[in-house]
Amino acid sequence: MSLDRRSFIAGSAALAAPLVLPVQVFAQEKIVRFTLPQDFTRIYTFVTSEYNQGQRDYFTLVNDRGGVGGYKIVADITDHANDLPRAIEAYERGKREGAVLIDPLSTPVARALVPRALEDKINMITAYSGRSDAADGSAFPYVLPLSINYWTQAGLIIEQFKKTEKGSLKGKKIVFVHIDTPFGKEPLPILNVLAKKEGYELAAFPYTPPGNDQSAIWPQVRRARPDFVIFWGAGVGQTVALTEAIRNGLPMDRVSGSVWLSESDMDVVGREAAKGVMKVEPCVGGREPKVIKDILADVVGKGKGAGPENKVGTGYYNYGVQMATLMVEGVRKAAEKAPNGPVTGPWLNEGLRSITNFTADGLLPPTTITKDDHQGGGMGRIARWDGAKFVPITDWYSANQDVVWEEIRKNSEEFKKSGK
Amino acid sequence: MDWILLAELSTNGVFVGLMYALVSLGIVLIYKTSGTANLAQGAIAMTGGYVTWALATLVGVPIWLAIPAALVIMFGFGLLMERIALRRMIGQPVIMTIMLTLGVEIMLRGILPGVFGAAVKRLDIGMPQQPLFVGELLLNRATMIGGSISLLLILLSLFFFNSRFGVVMRAVADDQTASWSVGIRVERAIAVAWGLAAVSATAAGVLWGSTQGVDWSLSLLLIKALAIAILGGLDSIPGVLIAGVIVGVAESLATGVLDPLVGGGSRDVVAAVIILVTLLLKPHGLFGRHHIERV
Amino acid sequence: MFYRRAGIRHTRYQDERQLFPLGFDRGLIIAVLAILLAAPFLFDRLYVSGYLLPWLIWTSAALGLNLLMGWSGQIHLGYGAVMGIGAYGSVHLVRLGVPLEIAMIAGGLLSATIGTMFGGAALRMKGIYLAMATLAMQYVVDFVISHSTVISGGSLATLQVPPVSFLGIPLQGEVPTYYLALGVCFVITLFMLNVRRTSFGRALAALREKDYAAQILGISTFRYKLLAFWVSSFIGGVVGSVLAVTYLRAISPDQFHIELSIQILAMIIVGGLGSVLGPFFGTALILFAPILLNNLLGFTAGKFGWSLPIDLRAHLPLMAYGALVIGFLLYEPLGLAKIYANFRNYLLVWPFRHAQR
Repeated sequence: MSLDRRSFIAGSAALAAPLVLPVQVFAQEKIVRFTLPQDFTRIYTFVTSEYNQGQRDYFTLVNDRGGVGGYKIVADITDHANDLPRAIEAYERGKREGAVLIDPLSTPVARALVPRALEDKINMITAYSGRSDAADGSAFPYVLPLSINYWTQAGLIIEQFKKTEKGSLKGKKIVFVHIDTPFGKEPLPILNVLAKKEGYELAAFPYTPPGNDQSAIWPQVRRARPDFVIFWGAGVGQTVALTEAIRNGLPMDRVSGSVWLSESDMDVVGREAAKGVMKVEPCVGGREPKVIKDILADVVGKGKGAGPENKVGTGYYNYGVQMATLMVEGVRKAAEKAPNGPVTGPWLNEGLRSITNFTADGLLPPTTITKDDHQGGGMGRIARWDGAKFVPITDWYSANQDVVWEEIRKNSEEFKKSGK
Repeated sequence: MDWILLAELSTNGVFVGLMYALVSLGIVLIYKTSGTANLAQGAIAMTGGYVTWALATLVGVPIWLAIPAALVIMFGFGLLMERIALRRMIGQPVIMTIMLTLGVEIMLRGILPGVFGAAVKRLDIGMPQQPLFVGELLLNRATMIGGSISLLLILLSLFFFNSRFGVVMRAVADDQTASWSVGIRVERAIAVAWGLAAVSATAAGVLWGSTQGVDWSLSLLLIKALAIAILGGLDSIPGVLIAGVIVGVAESLATGVLDPLVGGGSRDVVAAVIILVTLLLKPHGLFGRHHIERV
Repeated sequence: MFYRRAGIRHTRYQDERQLFPLGFDRGLIIAVLAILLAAPFLFDRLYVSGYLLPWLIWTSAALGLNLLMGWSGQIHLGYGAVMGIGAYGSVHLVRLGVPLEIAMIAGGLLSATIGTMFGGAALRMKGIYLAMATLAMQYVVDFVISHSTVISGGSLATLQVPPVSFLGIPLQGEVPTYYLALGVCFVITLFMLNVRRTSFGRALAALREKDYAAQILGISTFRYKLLAFWVSSFIGGVVGSVLAVTYLRAISPDQFHIELSIQILAMIIVGGLGSVLGPFFGTALILFAPILLNNLLGFTAGKFGWSLPIDLRAHLPLMAYGALVIGFLLYEPLGLAKIYANFRNYLLVWPFRHAQR
């Protein structure tokens, strides 16, 4: 490729073009800035677009109603593709623009950002991701899961099995099929401790990530003749797990997943075939809750929806709304305490960590965040797929929290010792 | 030792291995004719899955028509890819073509989920899901059917190589310059190889997509396909068949026997170890031709 | 234009043999170095820790891989694993209380040892077979790291890097970490600039052109292939530990997967195989093109209310990444370094376009 004058000039012009882009200016208005770099393209594709859509729709709803405590919410959305340089750039950019909260929705990213967020005092939301021990607020003041972690979810599932067996799991066999990553192995310590306590027998079967071929796992699961099966994965691993469970003729009403099971997974597996499977619900699904109805009427109805309307009310969409309501509630609390700001990380942190008995008009279980407990109380419920939607089969409850907190403290102690 | 479990895993492995072999068939076809390693094969399988899904769901074509239509479209796609990109790479170092196919893979993984949405798509081709018991032994109907279809397609491609055009392709595979000098259109043979590779990838994409749903993770079929292609010999189609069965059974048994020992999913690493061992002991694979330069 | 060259250029052999024989080039490099040295005080923190720091680290890694692929012509698809080995080795040592300076070198040595085993494959095969072998090794290393809890660190599989200091300066905040990365990158660049003037560098070049021809010339292919892998893996290991200590601060197995290997490979392909300048350009393009595109899209969406579906918007950078790789291979296989060279040659003889250089 040789260079002549024309291509030289064109090239220089192309190089110079990005430099003259104007910087975005905002109207003088009291705003709270959130930055939501999430993974739309690599690993977390199964959840991100719906989760993010829920968040944005709720922020639109809040802003259209005049904001919260006199503040408007500004949310910057970028894609970090689970790639650390991009995520860290997004974090630094958000920080520079004055963001006081970041929600990366990715475990590897959250882990790399933990030391930075603690140092810079920026609230990091690690809902259903990140470190489970971040529930210990005394060790991680600025890392807020605001949701039930995997250990609690495992505890909830075991409690439900116990209820099904009328109070005793003695001599029963529980099979735990999990993706062979740190995330998949996370519930194992809790399940092992509970196995000793409740007297059931635990067998774990790992499958290789991302789990698109589990055909060799499920025959073994079947032959183990389990009383209950827990399957632990995300995205494609979940649908394959269910498909294989069906192909191996396991009774679906004794199979349960974590929070990562959605309506679209059921579409892939086949709505009828998957009838009976259970999942943990951290918030109400469907379009019944008042918040979702409001969004449908005032946001989606007016054509301001952030995505396709048929996604509104799906499980992951509601998780997004759930997180958004908690963030907004944190802003409200913070504005109550110090109405004139200044809007900083610690300001919002005060608010987020004083959320008490918040239910968002019936979307969440009563959630209380304290300086010690960032998990919000550890309440969830079990829902069962009935062929068309997930129907709750229990009330909000929390279980085995003593065991869970023992594990949380064990890990957070270690973080305190080695990290900082 | 639980013999029934082993038997079950092995049968299962045979069929799953055949389904993987379908992906590596394309790699072998391309390597055989043009000497290029196609690392985009997984992404092409994904593309095939997406195209079939789009035809069936967005356009509303019935599935029995959507699959052949997708095969035709993808044949054209393969031709196009060879014409636009690969043909320019003739004479470039190997790393360039490897990187080019990796670039194609990255781009396809961006375009298709970007245009059609990243959420998992359901592709229902009417595979029966109910378990089939033969005594104690459970046979997985879906993998059995999938494996049989793959077997059929691979055998078909073997027959194809005995047809007139197949002979032309074999000639090109043997010696490009010599074929050129006797009037064979080498480029066309290579282009057709790419087209056929895309077709076999699409078939694999549809089979796998019906089990796991269609999304980007279909492109991960690549590493298994590579293991099979290398074990069988990069330029041998019967090799694909046999290596597919070997890899399938080895992985399946590893999951049953090895996993409890190492406490983890050893499945992927089995493919990697097979590649390594093959390359170190018998670099041309089980059935490949001895043409590798020893250093 | 800027180079102001005319007539007899050099009057002494030393002048001709200089790394940068032209005064303007020297000035340019000094200027760039000065800007890089002053960067923490000139630019906002966003640009230092969000752009310059990863740029330096990834460039160092790309230079290490370029030694192997560009200089000696061996294909390596598992460089991410090599970096991972260095990162894990040094972080474990640091956690045991070993000073960072030693841990970095030890991490490099560990990488070099295991990386040379990758090289063992190169003794048996070449071309795509070597590519497959190194790819397979990447998977094996990933598997070993993530499946031994001793290495990956407990049930959460995250290893926190304790507070460390380098030569007595605590590595806290962005300024010292930036200077550490800059220093490492500087040393590696200096090594790469000089290596082609040594017998080692010339042996590698001979190896790249034709290995048995090199053997006939009396260059031991066995020795130099392994040496190439050793040196490149050593660099990878050191960079891996720098990456862990200055940038990641907590390492987990998924940070060193095949994606990293392909990313670095793309950097040297886009930058220019066998060039020292190339990886600097290539890294910048591969790392920042998606970010800039992302920000640009976000900006236009915010400014003009132009809303793409979020899925499409999010995938555009990935398409751009792929398109960049394909585009460079098709239209400029020698990469950005070659484009820069064209640009420089144009200015060198300006305004006499047809003059010989």
